[in-house]
Amino acid sequence: MGKKGEVKLLVDGKRTDGRKLDEIRPLKMVIGVLDNADGSAYVEWGNNKAYAGVFGPRECFPKFLANPYKAILRVHYNMSAFSTKHERMRPGPGRRSMELSEVITNVFENVIQLEKFPNTAIDVHVELVQADGGTRCTAINAVSLALADAGIPMKDLVQAVSIGKIDGQLALDLNGDEDNYGEADMPIALANRNGDILLLQMDGLLTKEEINTAMGMAGEACKKIYEAQREALIKRYEV
Amino acid sequence: MRFVIPGEVIAETPKRDIENSYVENGKTYSAVVGFYYEEKGKVQQLEGPFIPKKGDMVVGVVIEARHNNYLVDINSPYKGILFERGRGPSLITGQVILARVSFVDEVKNVELEDAKVLKGGEIVEIKSAKVPRVLGKSASMLLMLKEMTGCEIVVGANGRVWIVGENSPVATYAILKIEREAHIPGLTDRIKQFLEKELKR
Repeated sequence: MGKKGEVKLLVDGKRTDGRKLDEIRPLKMVIGVLDNADGSAYVEWGNNKAYAGVFGPRECFPKFLANPYKAILRVHYNMSAFSTKHERMRPGPGRRSMELSEVITNVFENVIQLEKFPNTAIDVHVELVQADGGTRCTAINAVSLALADAGIPMKDLVQAVSIGKIDGQLALDLNGDEDNYGEADMPIALANRNGDILLLQMDGLLTKEEINTAMGMAGEACKKIYEAQREALIKRYEV
Repeated sequence: MRFVIPGEVIAETPKRDIENSYVENGKTYSAVVGFYYEEKGKVQQLEGPFIPKKGDMVVGVVIEARHNNYLVDINSPYKGILFERGRGPSLITGQVILARVSFVDEVKNVELEDAKVLKGGEIVEIKSAKVPRVLGKSASMLLMLKEMTGCEIVVGANGRVWIVGENSPVATYAILKIEREAHIPGLTDRIKQFLEKELKR
């Protein structure tokens, strides 16, 4: 993270990319992009580009991991070597990608009806081919669609968005620069039907009031993302 | 009939007998992407794995001959076991069979019975969720395919279709077309036209 106040992130109420504080970046969602996967999705959110592929439920290997009560879910998050603006990203499992794989797994373990497929494994792979702040949120939105495309029974579609603080004000959906030079960053994932919080992390500091406001903003943003997801699913089966 | 996605409310009251749905806080929600038919009381799934049920007829491939049974790949996360070694037909690895699912337990151990060997021909794999469209209403689509192409066709509930006959390439294309366009209305007419056009060549 860069130093606070090093870069001016807010000029005349507009952000570095011309957005308002409560505006999300343009979203593009396409479903069924990978032929070899059981379900797949491509999500473009601003400069973030993520591919998600779902394989399974399939036989669980190694066998000792299999659970006779439910399926196991394995999410593999990876950023490509060429995905970032500055230096080369080291691909493969690192501290960061292992953590993100784990938090995304935890998000989806709460919505997938894993008990319907005992003794199996569901493998999910998310590849970020371009990254510009908020990659875990992009990945969660992509995985949600890919799982729906694979026909895996889920309680809900999941939406995620990050909220942060730039130049002392709360802002929705931070981009790379705002993430690096801002004062705080808080990714949130919500379930649409009842507003369950499935992911809540925070980097930096926010007051109690700011967190309350941020949750409200996240709820509004997630509704927009849900509409985009729904539209993408309808488009997949459009006549 | 309406299009539903996971987490969408399909009834404001708890209805526990609707396929592919769940009840929470007194409301019924869809669990999958599909079409909800209120009169049939089910959500017709558009994608998804094949999970065997008792009574399903499946097209399987023998993958292992064990000392008193055969292990059969049934195009599902679970493998089938055929306890007919020594009683039914003698099978070898790689042979294609048609069998009935006789038993499935809570951890999805699948047992098969009444195996018949399917000799020659070829197998087309489609999504198991699209099998009802290949069969059609009271198997009308399958009958049309059989009559027009003159092929012997066996459709397994697991999405494997076994075809043998002179016009098998045309039948294969037709089945893949059905899979691709299963959700678009007017399927039977389109397939009929397609078959007429292809068989004239």
